[in-house]
Amino acid sequence: MNTVAGDLETILSSGIRLAAPLAFAACGEYVAERAGTLNVSVEAMMLGAAFCSIAVAGLTGSATAGLLVGVLLGALVGSAHGALSHRWHVNSFVVGLLLNALVLGLTSYLATVGNPSRHQVELVSVPGLRDLPVLGAPLFVERWPVYLLLALVPLAWWLVERSRWGLELRAAGENPEAAHMTGIRVNLRRRQALLWCGALAGLGGAYLAVGEVGSFNQNMTAGRGYLVIAAVIFGGWRLGRTLAGCAVFGLADALRLALPALGHTVNSQLLISAPYLLALLAMLLFTTRQRRPGALAQPFRRTP
Amino acid sequence: MRLRGITKRYGAVVACDGVDLTLERGEIHGLLGENGAGKSTLMRILLGLETQDSGAIDRDGRAVTIAGPREAAALGISMVHQHFSLVDPLTVWENVALGRSGPVRRAAERAGVRAAAQRYGLAIDPDARVGTLSAGERQRVELLKCLRRDPTVLIMDEPTSVLTRSESAELFTVLRRVVAAEHRAVVLISHKLAEITTATDRVTVMRAGRVVLRRATTATTEAELAREMVGREVTLGAAVGVLPHATAPASPAASAQTALRLRGLTARPGLDDLCLTVHAGEIVGLYGAEGNGQKSLGDVLSGLTVPDAGTVEVAGASVDLRRPGALSAAGLGIVPEDRHHAGVVLDLSVAENLVMTRLGDVSGRVFIDRRRLRRRARALADEYGITAASLDSPLRDLSGGNQQRVVLARELSGRPRVLVAAQPSRGLDVGAVEDLYARLRRCASDGIAVLLISTELEEILALTTRIATIFRGRIVGELPTAQADGERLALLTGGVA
Repeated sequence: MNTVAGDLETILSSGIRLAAPLAFAACGEYVAERAGTLNVSVEAMMLGAAFCSIAVAGLTGSATAGLLVGVLLGALVGSAHGALSHRWHVNSFVVGLLLNALVLGLTSYLATVGNPSRHQVELVSVPGLRDLPVLGAPLFVERWPVYLLLALVPLAWWLVERSRWGLELRAAGENPEAAHMTGIRVNLRRRQALLWCGALAGLGGAYLAVGEVGSFNQNMTAGRGYLVIAAVIFGGWRLGRTLAGCAVFGLADALRLALPALGHTVNSQLLISAPYLLALLAMLLFTTRQRRPGALAQPFRRTP
Repeated sequence: MRLRGITKRYGAVVACDGVDLTLERGEIHGLLGENGAGKSTLMRILLGLETQDSGAIDRDGRAVTIAGPREAAALGISMVHQHFSLVDPLTVWENVALGRSGPVRRAAERAGVRAAAQRYGLAIDPDARVGTLSAGERQRVELLKCLRRDPTVLIMDEPTSVLTRSESAELFTVLRRVVAAEHRAVVLISHKLAEITTATDRVTVMRAGRVVLRRATTATTEAELAREMVGREVTLGAAVGVLPHATAPASPAASAQTALRLRGLTARPGLDDLCLTVHAGEIVGLYGAEGNGQKSLGDVLSGLTVPDAGTVEVAGASVDLRRPGALSAAGLGIVPEDRHHAGVVLDLSVAENLVMTRLGDVSGRVFIDRRRLRRRARALADEYGITAASLDSPLRDLSGGNQQRVVLARELSGRPRVLVAAQPSRGLDVGAVEDLYARLRRCASDGIAVLLISTELEEILALTTRIATIFRGRIVGELPTAQADGERLALLTGGVA
């Protein structure tokens, strides 16, 4: 194997591993935004889930249990957000930002209290395919939750585009007044969308902790939730483009990690900001308002 | 379906005061009344969008409570809304499916829409996106959406306000079929008398929250209905469609000064090389079917859209359309088509709305002089006959007619050279229309150039001295009103110049 192919393989496989948490969360955020919530609390969902998954894995000794509890915690954050903003009509941005700050503080504190051990779910490799040149190792040797994407991505698409739930959800996101007049419970649909978003963002966060890294460190999501929001927006509220965006962010992250190993010396602090700069640039270049849900970030309140 | 003694209060205002209404199957029931008479409130109660303070609703002799739109739908009550309840980015069949329940079966839904469309004679493509449809087509979709729910009571709220004449006629044929063949009850809310008398079997007239007349349609006349609706003799026959022609207009030669000139206005999509001139002291009507660029023209003239090409000249001077407020500064006042969208801020007070465009007059460098603002607003309110409980109450609380007067008062207070009025009578009741027409005529006799953009033929014929017809964003014909008749205009608006 020559070095170029080797480098490529390294970057590709770490790129996919870094993109996976984004992809999970994006499948959630995509649904929430189609329902009309510009959900800022993805970061809180991911970070909280990352912490919980490690903590529970430590308690039970099972990384898979940790992963499941991570999903539940994400859903919990989602339902809290939903109740606050779509039941009691607190401004959704403020709720999201406060949840982010709250979870960041709590997890940072709790991380110093306990002394969690390392836990990681198993690697699964697909026999045969893993031996493919270049693509084999990056695509077919993964921690098993990554393969969930194969089911979750089509499911998220089907739910939104094909199911009655999704149709009502889209109506709630595009024109809540019309939806309400038709007899759709707009705020209920939006809360449900947030619940789904929470579960998937939780899965993404938990995967980051018990899947990739195997431990929890302070602020380990480091703004990945915001990248997800950016991906949904410049993906033009289409799932395929959103996921493509996640892949680009993942690859950029991988490139950053790989550069020093490839012999380039760049200031590492500067490099950390690269994906975020990339996100800004992408937003600037690719954002269209064309497919933007008509009532995105507009609360709906039945007139008394 | 029977409503008994329905009363609903909003604060001190009684919207419905002990209203009784009986709806029979197989009948089109006309509900007539001015804006604010309580018809919409009554229907909103029936639909579960509002809850009555007192009174009861029976269906087939059994008392029912309607807590929300879902319960109303379950009882078979369905409404075609004045402001449509459709979701633009969704397709036609998706919108129709929204009103139903159970899993979404794409093929079956599409076929269902197609079949229903055929049965009722409402031609529509199930896969078209609703946002791309014309107002008439959207209404067909709305109607289909309601009919697919198999309603017992179908409520139509001002269904023809966005339709052309032939579309209206077509709609009434469909309604008749719905009533006769399928034995449903239809409520037709309208303030157009001609519609009520031709299309309904029974009519109820409401005024100030009360029922003032209840009768079989054949046993009444348009004149009687108009009188009952307004509560006095009406001089103009706006609603009857026999408006008197404008009294001999000032001869154009006397004031042939060009006040407004549009040259090659192009704004995609909508306007295509549109040229039009309006002289001081004349009312020019821009007539055409809905969706031929009127809205784009309104947007350009309100400064909301910068055209791709072309110029707007006011009193001979070209206006820089890229600068906000330039048109208003140049002396162009506009009564926009959708006043809620572009004309007023509903949550600001009446007084604030009245002075909004001319804040310089009531403020110093930094602060607004509240006293001067109120004095000025009071003067305008008196001059234009705006009735409001208080000038400090939000504009939202005013009736449509009064809101329109606020817009007109504000625009005219700037002493414009040109006044553009886009569909100004839309949603107004007879009394308010009468007042509006008088004011537009006064503007012209004061030497203001008035451009009236309208889809209502009667309005155009009654008010204008010259008519220009618009088709696909171009002026396709121009003629003096004296030489115009419905047939000739219909030809011109069809694009056959």
